[in-house]
Amino acid sequence: MPLDPILIHACALALAAILATAATHKLRAPRWFVAQLEAYALLPQGLLKPVARLLPLLEGAVALGLLLPLSRSAAALAASALMLLYAGAIAVNLWRGRRDIDCGCAGPGESQPLRPVLLLRNSVLLGLALLATATPLARELGLFDGFVAIAAAAVLLLLYAAVDGLLTNAPRLLKLTGR
Amino acid sequence: MEALIVSNILLWILLIALAFVVMGLVRQIGVLHARIAPAGALMLDKGVTVNEPAPQVTAADRNGRPVNFGYPGDKGQLLFFLSPSCPVCKSLLPAIKAVAKERPDLEVVYVSDGDPDAQAALIREFKLEDARYVVGPEVGMTYQIGKLPYAVLIDQPGILRAKGLVNSREHLESLFEAERMGIASLQDYLHSPDHAHGNAVKIHQ
Repeated sequence: MPLDPILIHACALALAAILATAATHKLRAPRWFVAQLEAYALLPQGLLKPVARLLPLLEGAVALGLLLPLSRSAAALAASALMLLYAGAIAVNLWRGRRDIDCGCAGPGESQPLRPVLLLRNSVLLGLALLATATPLARELGLFDGFVAIAAAAVLLLLYAAVDGLLTNAPRLLKLTGR
Repeated sequence: MEALIVSNILLWILLIALAFVVMGLVRQIGVLHARIAPAGALMLDKGVTVNEPAPQVTAADRNGRPVNFGYPGDKGQLLFFLSPSCPVCKSLLPAIKAVAKERPDLEVVYVSDGDPDAQAALIREFKLEDARYVVGPEVGMTYQIGKLPYAVLIDQPGILRAKGLVNSREHLESLFEAERMGIASLQDYLHSPDHAHGNAVKIHQ
């Protein structure tokens, strides 16, 4: 289904930035990320280190691919697969009843326990990725279209950061009110 | 047409600014949460009493030098009880090292027990080769330490001034505050009649 290019560009830009930050915080705290993978208890011990090394590189590559017009739809498909994978990992651990482990979603220092809300967050990201896979409608793009795409991506990113902050704060608030 | 484009650009800019403000607010709430959550080092009601002479015990540190605990000396002591298998202890080590640097009047002693290889790895990781590091169960048993990371503050005459379970830098600082004010712990402060009903602190419980 062809979509207006502005929509696709904005989604791809925002997703690329989200994946790039995810990759950098994983690369900057490799030991934390290995411990995080171990906490999810989905991989055998021997695979933890290679996967922890590989996953941020994959995220970085997908982020780069989203920015280039040639590889955009392929990269968007890869991003959807990543989001599905993460959602699956969260769902398996929720199903196991392990709500006390850290989600590891927003890097070290921003810990939050696993909750079903996180699946909703991942499905929103999945929606962004799926929108970015669509083929753009053929039309002339002017300077103003570029501005709108960048501005929309910036608003998406800021709102994502705000929602992420609210999600991190929610369990702390619950702890504070003692419920 | 021109007016529509101008209005559209203006709206986008205002929307970005608004999203910035929302994100900033959420961040500030996060910082507030981080600041409110630690209420002070939790003192479990057992073991040695605060503002009484600390139990005296001597143990050898990793290099074989004897370390005296609880004896009068020319320096106060901060005992930090840790274990290589406790992640919170590790996250507190930089704060403890900062205290050691800031307070030359205080002798910082690390007390741990268990697997020597894990101890050596921890010491290498945090560059504690020159610190006084005691490995052995005697000190922990004398001071009846049941939970980690635990800190005990002893002043120069050998009086135990503050102690508690420390989970954050704020908890650690609360020990020094307790020493300065002569109050055993935050719980004591809140439950003492002069403060609990005064207008100095109001805490919703």
